Amino acid sequence: MKPVMRSALAIAAVLAAVSGDAVAQDGQSFDRIERGRTLAVLGDCGACHTAPGGKPFAGGLALETPFGKIVAPNITPDRQTGIGNFTNAEFLSALREGRSRGGKLLYPAMPYPAYTKMSDDDVLAIRAYLATLTPVSNAVVSNQLPFPFNIRMAMLGWNWLNFTPGRYQPNSQKSAEWNRGAYIVQGPAHCGTCHTPKTVLGGDKAETPLAGGMLQGWYAPNITNDSRTGIGTWSKDEVVQYLKTGTNSWTLASGPMADAISHSTSQMVDADIAAIATYLKDSGLGGATAAAVAIAASDNAMRAGAAIFKDSCAACHKDSGLGEAHLFPRLAGSALVQADDPTTLARVVLHGTRAVATSAMPTAPAMPAFDWRLSDAQIAAVLTFVRNSWGNAAAPVAAGAVTKQRQSLAAAP
Amino acid sequence: MANIVVRSLSRRSFLASTAALIVAGSTPGFARTIVGRMPWEPGSATPPVQVRPGPWMFFTADEAALVEAAVDRLIPPDDRGPGGKDAGCAVYIDRQLAGPYGGAAGLYMRPPFMPGAATQGYQLPGSPAARYRAGLLALADHVRTAFAGKTFRELAPADQDKVLGGLETGAIVLKDVNGAEFFALLLQNTQEGFFADPVYGGNRDMAGWKLVGFPGSRYDYRDWVDQHDKAYPLPPVSIMGRSDWTVRE
Ligand code: HEC
Ligand code: HEC
Ligand code: HEC
Repeated sequence: MKPVMRSALAIAAVLAAVSGDAVAQDGQSFDRIERGRTLAVLGDCGACHTAPGGKPFAGGLALETPFGKIVAPNITPDRQTGIGNFTNAEFLSALREGRSRGGKLLYPAMPYPAYTKMSDDDVLAIRAYLATLTPVSNAVVSNQLPFPFNIRMAMLGWNWLNFTPGRYQPNSQKSAEWNRGAYIVQGPAHCGTCHTPKTVLGGDKAETPLAGGMLQGWYAPNITNDSRTGIGTWSKDEVVQYLKTGTNSWTLASGPMADAISHSTSQMVDADIAAIATYLKDSGLGGATAAAVAIAASDNAMRAGAAIFKDSCAACHKDSGLGEAHLFPRLAGSALVQADDPTTLARVVLHGTRAVATSAMPTAPAMPAFDWRLSDAQIAAVLTFVRNSWGNAAAPVAAGAVTKQRQSLAAAP
Repeated sequence: MANIVVRSLSRRSFLASTAALIVAGSTPGFARTIVGRMPWEPGSATPPVQVRPGPWMFFTADEAALVEAAVDRLIPPDDRGPGGKDAGCAVYIDRQLAGPYGGAAGLYMRPPFMPGAATQGYQLPGSPAARYRAGLLALADHVRTAFAGKTFRELAPADQDKVLGGLETGAIVLKDVNGAEFFALLLQNTQEGFFADPVYGGNRDMAGWKLVGFPGSRYDYRDWVDQHDKAYPLPPVSIMGRSDWTVRE
């Protein structure tokens, strides 16, 4: 840019600041900014809009989608490379309709299909908070998708098929706490982005919200109150503990949920976490989906699996499958272990994982990798064993599923 | 908590920059500051690779025949299990000599070289690979001369024992090679092959461990810690598992 032009812009910026633009008129009270900050935590905006090691909200994190890479843009108030020039209407429209400044259609990697539930006031409070950040100059090219997915207009069709804009409608039959939880889960916290099963086009399957979805080689399990595949066996306190600390007496969070917990849920205020738990404990169809029949211990895969478990896993997860609270997850009775989709299980045993560390639970124990020690057939056998022992019952894991996961981990660890 | 992290961070970076100053001009110094928790990355370990049976990697066919015969006298087969040969001791030694051990990669190998005290072990410039090459050649020569053109493998077991015993005591003198030292090296490596994890090619089917009741690479004994008068019931397990891990069709 020519120096003359740059100083002209600088003058314009000063003038705007003095005269007060749309944001400034909004009443920059401390309370409102603080509420906006809380909402930005609920919405986990920072997780996507911050590159690893980069300045907060200055963009640059590449998101893997089934169609290619999308890079989250700079949302600091920088006027050239950020969103400093957005009007409130443009900001509202970007967040809730997926239509950004200048009518640019956003890809749903930005969770506008969830944010659409948010109220004007909440979205503008986020705006007010973002406006207090130091502007960072960082130009980001968001659209790095290959042809034909790089055509933004295609999102018109996608939106038409998959996107239902509209604010959250309170349910008057339920308590205020329940409604607060539903609002957070469906709206700002966009839990369904990962936990709701997707159609082939990547839209939410509206009839089964939060019933379990796949992403980036992880399975985000059913988090409705189903007592076999969901969190039905967890108490409300255990749900709260998990979201607040990353662990409870059942499990420890890893992978994408570890990020969601460290950036978002562990930072939420207690009342909001409790509201989420109240809502989740009352979600889904209730009861338990029909149990599979456990595979007999005399089955060949079960026998090999039992030997492998005894020698390689029992030291941590115990012969009883009960693990150690907050240290080694409990496999007996675990919904994750019995999930229809064994993707996470194969991944965890192949590669190992590290649990999330929160200030309440800083230990972050790790599960060791077994890819060098166990063949695909052996991993399938030990998983079949843990899915069908101690009262667990689930379909056997095929060696081919482990092979597939091993290959995709080798391609993109 | 936050305070502690910040303080230790600046102190550590201070140490790091001092270190950098001190080494500046010689080699570059790198220090990593780790805050919060230890880093964890998948795939950053380098686990051992299972040695597979197959062609010799270091020994010639003649050398291998001699070593297989010798390890089978050092640990002869009997009704309690296989001897050194069937337990894979020669395979173990072969793979070790073909790898970093054979090239003395882990030893300080610069002069001056002088004989050390008995407790200091071997102090001379030969790498294990070079010592085997020279030792086996000298031993084969000795046997050929002393036993009318025969090889070590062709000798009767009693004669093989006599040769090995003569090396051990120094009664047999090899040309240009210290026979007692070579015998000590061979004995030590044979024992390693018999008791090291099968991942390294010896201790086949954990024969050595079964003999002495070693449980192998298990690492949790909580259930047996206070059961004092009972035999430990579980079979040994190698780094790469045991036969029960195989899924039968
Ligand atoms: C799951 C990752 C993710 C989260 C969470 C997320 N965003 Fe985004 N956001 C994106 C991506 C990716 C784009 C770019 C999409 C495109 O270019 O089609 C984007 C685009 C935007 C834009 C449009 C910017 C422009 O230059 O057009 C705004 C504004 C925005 N996000 C604000 C937010 C706010 C505020 C939050 C929190 C409430 C948030 N985002 C949370 C990924 C995310
Ligand atoms: C970025 C994707 C993502 C988002 C967003 C997300 N989750 Fe998760 N969640 C996962 C994954 C993946 C797992 C499995 C974690 C594991 O294997 O340890 C998980 C696990 C869980 C579990 C544990 C289930 C079990 O049976 O072990 C709960 C409860 C949960 N999430 C609740 C939530 C809530 C509530 C939200 C919204 C505030 C949310 N998640 C947002 C991906 C996500
Ligand atoms: C050194 C202790 C240790 C050993 C040995 C071990 N694990 Fe784990 N395992 C863990 C820890 C710690 C976690 C939690 C990691 C996380 O949340 O990221 C875990 C997580 C898991 C999970 C996911 C459960 C959940 O609720 O998130 C499964 C399934 C699992 N392990 C199976 C196995 C199998 C099968 C073996 C043997 C092949 C094994 N583990 C061996 C420590 C161990």
